[in-house]
Amino acid sequence: MELTPLRFVRLTLLFAAVALLAIFPLIGLPKDWILYIFLFCVYLALANMWNLLCGYCGLISLCQTAFIGLAGYTLVIFTWNGLPISLGILCSAVVAAVFAVLISLPLFRLRGIYFAIGSLIVPDALRVVFLLWRPVGDKIHGKGAGYMLKGLEDISMTHIYWLAILVGIGSIFIMRLILSSKLGMGLAAIRDNDTAASSSGINIFRLKLCAFVISAIVSALAGAIFFMFDGYIAPTGGFNMKWTMTMILATVIGGISTEEGPMIGTVIIVFLHFVLARYAGISLVIQGTLLIIIMLLVPQGIMGFLRKTRSYQSLLRLLVRGAG
Amino acid sequence: MVSEKRMLKADNIDAYYGNLQVLWKISVEIKVGEIVAIIGSNGSGKSTFLNVISGVIHPPRGSILFEGTDITSMDPFQIVGLGISQVPEGRRIFPDMTVFENLRIGSYSRRARSKREENFERVYRLFPVLKERRNQIAKTLSGGERQMMAIGSALMSDPKLLLLDEMSLGLSPLVVNELYRALKEIRSRGITIIFVEQNVRRTLTEAERVYILETGRVVLSGNAETLREEEKVKKAYFGTH
Amino acid sequence: MHEFIAGLGSPLIMGILLGGLYAVIALGLSLVFGVMRLINVAHGDLVIFGSYFAYLIVTLTGIDPVLSLVAGIPVLFLIGFAIQKFLMARAFKQSMEAPLIIAFGISLVLENAYQIIFSPMSRGISTSYSMKSFIFGGIYIPIVYVLNFIVALLVMVSLHAFLKRTYLGQAIIAASQDAVAAQLMGINTPRIFAFTFGIAGTTAAVAGVFLGLTFPFTPISGISFLIIAFGVVILGGLGSVLGTFIGGIILGLAQTLGAHFFGSAAQMLILDIMVLVILAVRPQGLFGR
Repeated sequence: MELTPLRFVRLTLLFAAVALLAIFPLIGLPKDWILYIFLFCVYLALANMWNLLCGYCGLISLCQTAFIGLAGYTLVIFTWNGLPISLGILCSAVVAAVFAVLISLPLFRLRGIYFAIGSLIVPDALRVVFLLWRPVGDKIHGKGAGYMLKGLEDISMTHIYWLAILVGIGSIFIMRLILSSKLGMGLAAIRDNDTAASSSGINIFRLKLCAFVISAIVSALAGAIFFMFDGYIAPTGGFNMKWTMTMILATVIGGISTEEGPMIGTVIIVFLHFVLARYAGISLVIQGTLLIIIMLLVPQGIMGFLRKTRSYQSLLRLLVRGAG
Repeated sequence: MVSEKRMLKADNIDAYYGNLQVLWKISVEIKVGEIVAIIGSNGSGKSTFLNVISGVIHPPRGSILFEGTDITSMDPFQIVGLGISQVPEGRRIFPDMTVFENLRIGSYSRRARSKREENFERVYRLFPVLKERRNQIAKTLSGGERQMMAIGSALMSDPKLLLLDEMSLGLSPLVVNELYRALKEIRSRGITIIFVEQNVRRTLTEAERVYILETGRVVLSGNAETLREEEKVKKAYFGTH
Repeated sequence: MHEFIAGLGSPLIMGILLGGLYAVIALGLSLVFGVMRLINVAHGDLVIFGSYFAYLIVTLTGIDPVLSLVAGIPVLFLIGFAIQKFLMARAFKQSMEAPLIIAFGISLVLENAYQIIFSPMSRGISTSYSMKSFIFGGIYIPIVYVLNFIVALLVMVSLHAFLKRTYLGQAIIAASQDAVAAQLMGINTPRIFAFTFGIAGTTAAVAGVFLGLTFPFTPISGISFLIIAFGVVILGGLGSVLGTFIGGIILGLAQTLGAHFFGSAAQMLILDIMVLVILAVRPQGLFGR
């Protein structure tokens, strides 16, 4: 990938932004803001991955929470056995990747709607598994199958925050890399025309599996970091539909199948979560209704809507001309 | 036989398939009791025109009047209720229903329901093979039998105007003969017929009037007999003169 | 050995009877999928709506829950009709994924509404007979289970008759085989689709009442029953009322036998795995077209 002037400008902006975000906790920004950025990064990673699967591969995956929960429980096993948490994070990515390959066996034989429901079953099954299985500790611990994460004393909130930024911004890079690589070209071809793509020699199955595994790894990492922050995991929290709703809503609001969409959508979603924090009960009712309304009225999301407007197109032309 | 009363008038119809324009300023006039053919090769837009009449496609420009009523933006089921029935191309039928069930569902519209038994009699008389095979599952029928059943279902809706899309496609000449014989009888009952075909020679003998479509435009129209003699037509469609 | 077989008697009979209930639960899903090719992810939650609705009426008025269907059936018919007419019809025009995502949204809205209104506590519908059983060949059979099976038979038979013998039913079948050809026959397909969804709603109402009599339910039970319904649909294949019934029985047996051998805590997990396996091995079901 060559470095054109436009790309150089974008990269510098991105690095500047990252540096800025990184020093926030050091300069004493209010904790709420830090939390906001933290959640933004975690959700952004998840939304980008969901967008990768649904917007570019045509896979409506409702099982991303499986990877999130698995990551959390991997951390539990590691920290309760005295192993270093950094290893735990790495391992959770591996576990998620392996699991993704495993369940791709039944799931990838299904198309469209069948796939979606199949993927719905997975987190539900895992929820029951972890309700019954106590991987560490004895009967007293893991009451209700929830565990506190151990060994977090040496790790400061700032470190966790930085890890979140790494994963969140990293997911943007990963998306860019994928989309401009051969994998991305293949995916764009699949999205536009499945049968034509397969007849031109693209191995659809391998491409989708690649994307699926990548999404598993990134989602697991995001989940691991979240649970490090939260310090506690239980089956109902780890495999909850709330995660799925968040990533879907963020992507749909921002604009599915667009690169910037998840970013914009996540900003809005985190804001929404903050606003609705007081109304925990109806939060999901509101989010669900919002999802339905947006799917019906503005299905292409904000980015999709913007792209069609003339002002955006002229702005784009300006940028390209100015930098090129 | 043919009255002077106007049954259908299509005026300057433009039609699109998605973003692609397929019909340009199509104007057609059909009188009560006529049998009119629309001829053209593949891609000339003939099926699209039938679909416009039936309400499956709505034209952004132009209008269609049926017995004086503007049907341009009506829903297909309403148009069937008014008395226009289409036998679609490809012999679309309901594959997993029996012949009887296929015919019966043709009388779904309110107007046709009261005449159901009467029309059943008529269809069975027209196509006795359908009566024989009435309990057979539709997808097991031969091509010719399917076409008969498709026509039968359309007749069950008690139409005043019958539209047929590429009726003879892929069928043996013997079967095609049977079908045209049936058409004659249908017409003798006072039903107006528009049929769309690629087989020019046969069509010019069966129809009274003809419109020739080429890439979405009417290029020639008139009396079938006169057109048969026309030099242009002879050269274009019969190769030699 | 003799005891092993004798011990199997109860789960076998219970499994078959339970299968009836599962078939009725799956019926709505099967109908909507067969006619409109849409897997209504919110179907389980609609069934639970039926359960909560009946529960409410029973607690408020004390009448028999089966009688509450007099109100439940029209209410759920209207809800189903409205969902198709105002939400799904528009979603279909956009893309393949839109209806699924919207159904997902509906599912979450319903589940959380239940949570707010009824609290996460598990509920059940009880009547004078819901706890009673009778003995047959030395096995205790709860009356409710037999009731489920009989109702299932009734519902299946009436639905089959409706589909085969009425104009509306035949229109639904026609629309499911070729929607455009159906329109050319004079069928108002958008209204037929809405009607179909409404009928799915009525079966959900019936299923909900008997579910509430058989099991305790919570706001998130919908997803478990969606998975079961889905399993029944793919086992039984589409377009087959008999297939749905048999699929229900197979899953019912899977659950009772699974509970018998592995304990009741793992029941749902066994069903989950079974559905995944079926999906992987034979997605078109045993009777599929």
